[in-house]
Amino acid sequence: MNKYLISKKIVINDLSTFYSFLIGLSIGITIGSIILLVQGQNPIEVFSLMLRLSVGSIKSLSSSLNKATPLILAGLGISIINSVKLWNIGAEGQIFMGGIALNFIYISYQIPNSKLSIILLLLTAFVGGSICILLPALAKVLFGVNEIITTLLFNYIIIGFTVYLVNGPWKDPNSLNFPAATYVGKEVYLPTVFGRLSYGFIICILCTAGVHYLKEKSVFGYELRISGGSALTAIYAGINAKQKAFIALLIGGGLAGLAGGIELLSQTHRVSTGLSQGFGYTAIIVAAITGMRPLGIFLVGSLFGALTIGGTVIQTMGVSSYIADVIQATTLFGALISQFFFTYKIKEVTNDV
Amino acid sequence: MMFDIQLMGLLNATLQAGTLLFIAALGELITEKSGILNLGVEGMISIGAVTGFMVAVNTGNLFLSVLIGVFSASLFASLHAFVTVILKQDQTVSGLILTILGLSLSALLGKKYVGKKLPVKIESLIEIDEPSNIFEVLISQNYIFYLGIFLMVATAFVLKKTMFGRRLEAVGEDSRAADSMGLNVNKTQFIATCVGGGFSGLAGVYLTLSYVPYWTDNMTSGRGWIALALVIFGGWKPYRTAVGALLFGFLEALVPRLQTYGFELSPYLVKITPYAITIIILIVLTIYKGGRTGAPSNIGIPFFRENR
Repeated sequence: MNKYLISKKIVINDLSTFYSFLIGLSIGITIGSIILLVQGQNPIEVFSLMLRLSVGSIKSLSSSLNKATPLILAGLGISIINSVKLWNIGAEGQIFMGGIALNFIYISYQIPNSKLSIILLLLTAFVGGSICILLPALAKVLFGVNEIITTLLFNYIIIGFTVYLVNGPWKDPNSLNFPAATYVGKEVYLPTVFGRLSYGFIICILCTAGVHYLKEKSVFGYELRISGGSALTAIYAGINAKQKAFIALLIGGGLAGLAGGIELLSQTHRVSTGLSQGFGYTAIIVAAITGMRPLGIFLVGSLFGALTIGGTVIQTMGVSSYIADVIQATTLFGALISQFFFTYKIKEVTNDV
Repeated sequence: MMFDIQLMGLLNATLQAGTLLFIAALGELITEKSGILNLGVEGMISIGAVTGFMVAVNTGNLFLSVLIGVFSASLFASLHAFVTVILKQDQTVSGLILTILGLSLSALLGKKYVGKKLPVKIESLIEIDEPSNIFEVLISQNYIFYLGIFLMVATAFVLKKTMFGRRLEAVGEDSRAADSMGLNVNKTQFIATCVGGGFSGLAGVYLTLSYVPYWTDNMTSGRGWIALALVIFGGWKPYRTAVGALLFGFLEALVPRLQTYGFELSPYLVKITPYAITIIILIVLTIYKGGRTGAPSNIGIPFFRENR
């Protein structure tokens, strides 16, 4: 019997993540097609309709990019946190918290200048996201409590809190039976660039550039990478690893909060349980599939935004929108599997070694 | 007398909620013992829940439903095993995606089953409407409850007293040493991951065929994550995990009853308390143990023969 040994390749193709993504995407689409076939739908018909309704016109393309905005921002947050080798599974809750914080400031204070007001409100959303991750972050750096479970559980807490707010203190009497908070005024709506494309996407481009610079070029990014590596190296380099991890967590949570703020000011215009439709979870896929690279997150996030829009519109055909989720998740699994062949070599050895 | 019935009702609900959490946590414990972290518990429960429900609605055969539910969750877990054990990819990423895929896939599968009535239900050992003492509560539980107790004893025995259990622990603590002793690390980890998935599947079947006998999307509502917290709480030991399951089950059972006990609370806020208390318990426990949690040393680290 022959045995196989695997070992890491010394030289790994720079574009391997990109190739794995393409292979993964084709696997994802294949599995999506099989599911559609089983359900008695014509996959080519469904996918071409999805394509047309997500990128076919300026109007639909701009909707797709709007949908991509929270995915990209939350994904960027996850990628910053991952540079210290930590995980943020709580982006979903942080998106809600961003919206909640924004609405809280909006109804508590009146700011006469609407431009200034929008900027302040978005900053509040960022702070809201940071507050949401504060406890898991403190528990992690002070006591070493597993941040994966704490950030995830916070999703349930924040979403429960949202349900409470929109059914109780913030319930809009005019919304009839649908539980939602009162709409924010038109003066704080985010303006559009063209079509339906909101300025949120511009903020998103700026954040992508900022995070790219922060992670790849700045001293801070270097310190983050060291902090995520060995504890001894950080001590030798004179870096306070825990402090860096804490800051990274707060920034990452803040970016997800900002995503919630933008979503509120540009799309939903009010706090409701529909403020985020699983963006925080999709953002994890987006970040992981790109190997946490900011520019990759921007591209894949845009694509997944289109896929989500496509998934929503095919609901009218009687196809469940969960098909988009399945395609996204299987794409990542496919990418993980093909990544193996780019990073490892397999050696066959005879039994007598 | 009235108070007694209320108390027994609370105990009853505690055992029911605890059973689900415990079985899922026990499966995860077995997986983690081998050094593989599987964050996909939520997704695996969901897969077990929907497949079990589908089979039950279509055939009315309970035994077959449980079998299919367990088997399909186990098969689903083998995806994680393939990606992390054979292909050595990141366990955190793979596990998270397993959760997302499990939730969306089960929603897709169960789309036609939302609102369907169940022709059969997993029965209790002895039907007692309003148990009035502890003994009556204990003998009137669902069959899965007793299966859970059996699995607890069996798992503790297998882990401590059998070759398979010792092998599992050796692989999870030091896979390099285990490998040089001639153990097949990959095989052990693969089996442990699939067994863990099967346990989650059983928890899922229990969820749809007894605990809440219907199917809706995302009905696992974070229980898989609480099960993960439970493994940490139990220090990777079956009996201590059972104690934890009772505690967490008690929280889940107590919360909806608080209002009947005269506490003025918003029902919406009450719903989030189990999650909040889980976080608090996790933090307090980690501080108390000072970092020595009892986790298998190799957890999350892929094993390579050639990593010298």
